[in-house]
Parts: sequence; structure tokens; C-alpha cells
Amino acid sequence: MIAAGCDVGSLTTKAVILNNARLLGHALVRSSFNPEKSASEVMEKALASARLTMDDISLCVGTGYGRERIGFVKKTVSEISCHAKGAHFLQPSIRTIIDIGGQDCKAIRLDAKGEIVKFITNDKCASGTGRFLEVMAKLLGLELGELGRISGQATHPITLASTCTVWAQAEVIMHLNEGMPKADLAAGINEAMAARVAILARSVGIEQDVCMTGGVAKNPGVVEAMEKQLGVPMRRLRLDPQLMGALGAAVFARERLGVS
Amino acid sequence: MKTADRKALKVFQELLENPVNRLVEQAAGDGRIPLGYSCSFVPEPLLMADRLFPVRLHATGIAGTEIADNYLSSLVCSYTRSILEFAFDDRYDLLQGWVFVPSCAHMQRLQDNLEYLKKPGFVHTIDVPRKVSEATLDWMEEELHMLSDRLASHFQVDMGPDSLDKAIASWNEYAETVKAVGELRKRPDPPLTGTEFHAMLMASLASPKDLIMPEIRAFRDEVEQQGDITGHRARLMVVGGHLHDPDFIRVIESQGGLVVADRFCTGSIPGLMPVETNGRGPVRALAEHAFRKTLCPRMMEDFDRRLQSVIDIVREYNVDGVVIEVIKFCDLWGVDSMPLVTALRDKGIPVLKLEREYRLGGEGQLRTRVQAFLESMGR
Repeated sequence: MIAAGCDVGSLTTKAVILNNARLLGHALVRSSFNPEKSASEVMEKALASARLTMDDISLCVGTGYGRERIGFVKKTVSEISCHAKGAHFLQPSIRTIIDIGGQDCKAIRLDAKGEIVKFITNDKCASGTGRFLEVMAKLLGLELGELGRISGQATHPITLASTCTVWAQAEVIMHLNEGMPKADLAAGINEAMAARVAILARSVGIEQDVCMTGGVAKNPGVVEAMEKQLGVPMRRLRLDPQLMGALGAAVFARERLGVS
Repeated sequence: MKTADRKALKVFQELLENPVNRLVEQAAGDGRIPLGYSCSFVPEPLLMADRLFPVRLHATGIAGTEIADNYLSSLVCSYTRSILEFAFDDRYDLLQGWVFVPSCAHMQRLQDNLEYLKKPGFVHTIDVPRKVSEATLDWMEEELHMLSDRLASHFQVDMGPDSLDKAIASWNEYAETVKAVGELRKRPDPPLTGTEFHAMLMASLASPKDLIMPEIRAFRDEVEQQGDITGHRARLMVVGGHLHDPDFIRVIESQGGLVVADRFCTGSIPGLMPVETNGRGPVRALAEHAFRKTLCPRMMEDFDRRLQSVIDIVREYNVDGVVIEVIKFCDLWGVDSMPLVTALRDKGIPVLKLEREYRLGGEGQLRTRVQAFLESMGR
């Protein structure tokens, strides 16, 4: 039986299609102002990549902030549970998940069965979220992906005194005006981000293996900075970490269909 | 979750739309004297003597605190800032007096600013001790006598023992009626939601008791006639500080978590214990009652009692999980909630701690957290 998961996030919408444990297709699109439209668009793309139609899907589970607006899902599950389910499905040794999305971040601790033991979220402040990196990349005139890549070339990373997105911008502008290399600025930004999120992660109690999910997990600068902050290696998952919520939703759908 | 659409609920919601509602206006129009208060240590029955009646200060529907922010630091909780904002907006002008307790530094700053900027005709502070012993009961009795004397002389009202006994009897009748409705929530499928109960309770705290009693009885009758709430995923209890807006409970319940018990400043447990008159005079009875029915984190060496009360309620109401709500920058609940979370989890009770602002915001995030909490409980 074919199961699907659709994750309508604040910045991106993702879909994953599974046949038993096999990944048949997936897609990712930028979220529009209309969650229903974003969901339909991403699902069409995922179905096309799997060479399937909607009639082939036995059950689709929705997640993400727009989960209640998806017309074609039969059940919704919170993104916290979905990220946990997806990461545990891919790597059962995972005990701690740090999910940094577009506009929030979460730290989740699991037991050996993949059940959530504790979770904490930050959704009140843009620092420590993908939005923080977007703002900073724009300020440096870089693509978001470049922010992670060039930070590896840093020789003297800056230290941001403020983790507030607004005040950090002022600091970065000051350093830019002083002629500081962009690589040093990018590394400082990634480290500030990691320091902020590490506080949240520590509060659930770090237990290995630890992994990062969400769009920011694709930034190697932040992942490395997080490893330094927490003093533990980040387990790299064998699927785009941004798809983890949608994968978890698909696994929930699969379980609901009685596939163990 | 299957719920009922009740007429009485709409009445309570309408009464909560304005901090000084139509029942307060009606009573004031009849020559009665509304007095505002903000802390559960203020004994409501004392403010019900003769022509007086109490109005618990709330600011539901507040949109922002732009003016209050000029006078109170951003580290002061949003409840006190909201009350000050509404005061500046003349929303409490019908109140003829204010009775405060220095429960926390934030509340004291609220009182300071109100006195300085609004210059109300009557302001009184009850200096409530932070420990409970025979000596502090004596102190509290004296404090209440001082308040009683001031009320009598300022408003020319009868604060004698017979008048107070009558007020206590009236308050007890109110408390027992509301408590009985609350206890319906012990049933496996309660006949009312937590949102409905909370709307009734908050409206009753913000209205003259005698005028709202018919509405409470009508609600009770409606609840008894209609079917039970079915299809809930879990039974929850909410614990924390000031919570006036029933919409906060509504959002929790929208995810299938039926709120069956409360243990917060403006809640019913143990806030609606009847006053026991013990032959030592009504003022002494009120002094003892204030400490019995209030479990506040400001009280020293009383954590174990507060913890035990939550554990007892969890058992009594068959609660599956506890939601602790703390208003951001609330020092008292902020500190108390940390060991409370640990102690409850150690007892095997699932806990979700939510930091919030006084007014409901971030509804989507709140829904996600509650949904994830229910899922983590396997519901």
C-alpha cells in the first residue's frame, strides 16, 4: 500500500511518498500564502516524481503549520511527532533531534522505541530559526546555501554580541563597513545561530545519537558549529533533512494502514 | 470532540467582552458600589457586604499595551500591563475603589502607577503574610479588620458581623453552586467543556454574584439536560497563574484534550471552598479561608502542599496530563513551575509547560504544542 505525507511549513511545503519502507518520490516547493494550494502543488510534483496519481495513494497524513488546511489528508499529526517519527524511521539510534525550520526551532528527545520523551520549541523569536539566516544572507548579498559553504573558509570568525535578529543585523553591517571578509561574517552568524539553539537543545537533555532536521540542517556551517557547541557529533541522515516532517507523516500514514 | 452549542455560554462570553460588564453597570445604577481587585487573597465575601460588590480585574480583549509600556518595564508581566492599559483607557472608571495585595513586585508597580496617575478615590493594600501560622492568621485578621473599617467609613456601608455573615452566606451559596457544576467534570464523559466552565467562572468573578446567579443556574440546568462531551482524546488539567480568557482553554480543547480540572489563580480548585464560620467571628473566618482556598507560589515553605494538591486533583478528576501555563516574566509561577514540572514527571504524570502572554496569541503554535503533547502521551 502506498502512503504519503505532506508537510506545509511556514516557508516551504514538502511531500514524501512511501511504498512500505521504500521511498517512491518526494518534492519541495516554496510555501505560498495559500496552504491548500502549496499542498496540492507539492503533492503533484511528488506524484510525478514517483510516476503515480492521487488515486494510487491509500492514505496521506498532513503536518506543519498549514496541516489543517490540506484538503486531501485524512489525518493530521503535529510536526514535532512527525520529525521524531521520520528521524527514527531513518536512523533508529537517534535519541535527540534538533529541528530548525523557517520560523521556529524544536528540540526533541526520544526513547529507544522512538517515542517522544520531552520536547521544547521556540517560536517567539526569529533568532535561532531559518529566518535569521535568510536575513543575514541577504545582508551579505549571498544565496542562503552559500552562507554555509563559505563559512568553511573563515580564518577569524566574528563574535556576535547579540542574538536578536534586528540587533545582529546592525553588528553585521558594522563589520561589513569595516571590510571584514564575508567568510568570517558567515561563520560568526552560523556560530551565533548554533549557540542560541544549543541552549534550547540542552534543556531537553542531550542523548546520543543526535541529528539535525529542517532546512537549516543543510547548512554545514551551522551543523559544525552545533557539534562544537554541544560537544557531540551530528548524525547525518541519508535523506534531505528538510523532508523529515513529510517523511514522518508518511510513516504515520503507513502505520495507520497497518504496515509495520 | 463532540460539544454542545449552549445559550448560557454566549451570555458568559458576552459578559467577558468588557471589564465592566452590563451587570456591573446595572448594579452600579442601582446605587451599589463596585470594587476592583486582582488577587485571590482578597476575600470576595468581605467586598460583598451591604451595598458593596467585587469585580475581579481582567482585560480580556486587550489589543496592545502601548501606553502602559511607557510606565511599566518590558520585564513586567503582560497581565499587569494590560490592566494598566485598560485603566488608562478609562475602562474601569465605574469602579469606586481598588483593593490590592502586594502578591508580587509587578502587582505593586501596577498599584503605584494607578495611584499616581489615576488617583482613585479609594485604594487599599492588604498586607498578606508569606507564611501561614497562628500568628499570621492573627495578622491577616487585623488586616481585614483595617480594610473593613476603611470601607465602612469611606463608603458608609454596614460592615458589622451580621452584614458580613450575610455576605458570607451569599458567597457560600455562589461557590457551592459553581463548585457543583465543576464537579460534573469528574464524570468519565463530562457534560461540559473546560472552555464553558471557565467562561462561567470568569464571568462570575467579574459580575455581582446575585445578578449572575440566575445565569449560572440556567447554565447548570442546560448542562444537565444536554448530552455528555464525547470523543475526547485525553483529560487534561491546567495549572498556573492568572488566566481569564476562555479562548486559551478552547485552543487546548480544539486538539481533543478536554480540560476537566484547573489549579490556577483564577480557577475553581481550591478557590471555591466554602467559608467555614467557626464561632470566632466572620473576619477571622475570612482570614482563615483566604489561606485555605489560595495556593499561591508567593507563599514560603508551602511548595509541598501546592504539589500535593495537583497530584490529588489528577487522581480525583482522572487527569491524563497536566498543562502548566506561565505568563512570561511571572517570577512567582516561573520559579515554582520548574520544580513542579520535575516533581510531577517523577510521579509519572505527563506535563506540558507553556509560556504565554496574558492575551491569547500564537494560536497555531499553541495548537501544535498541545497536539504534540497528546501524541507524546499516546493519545
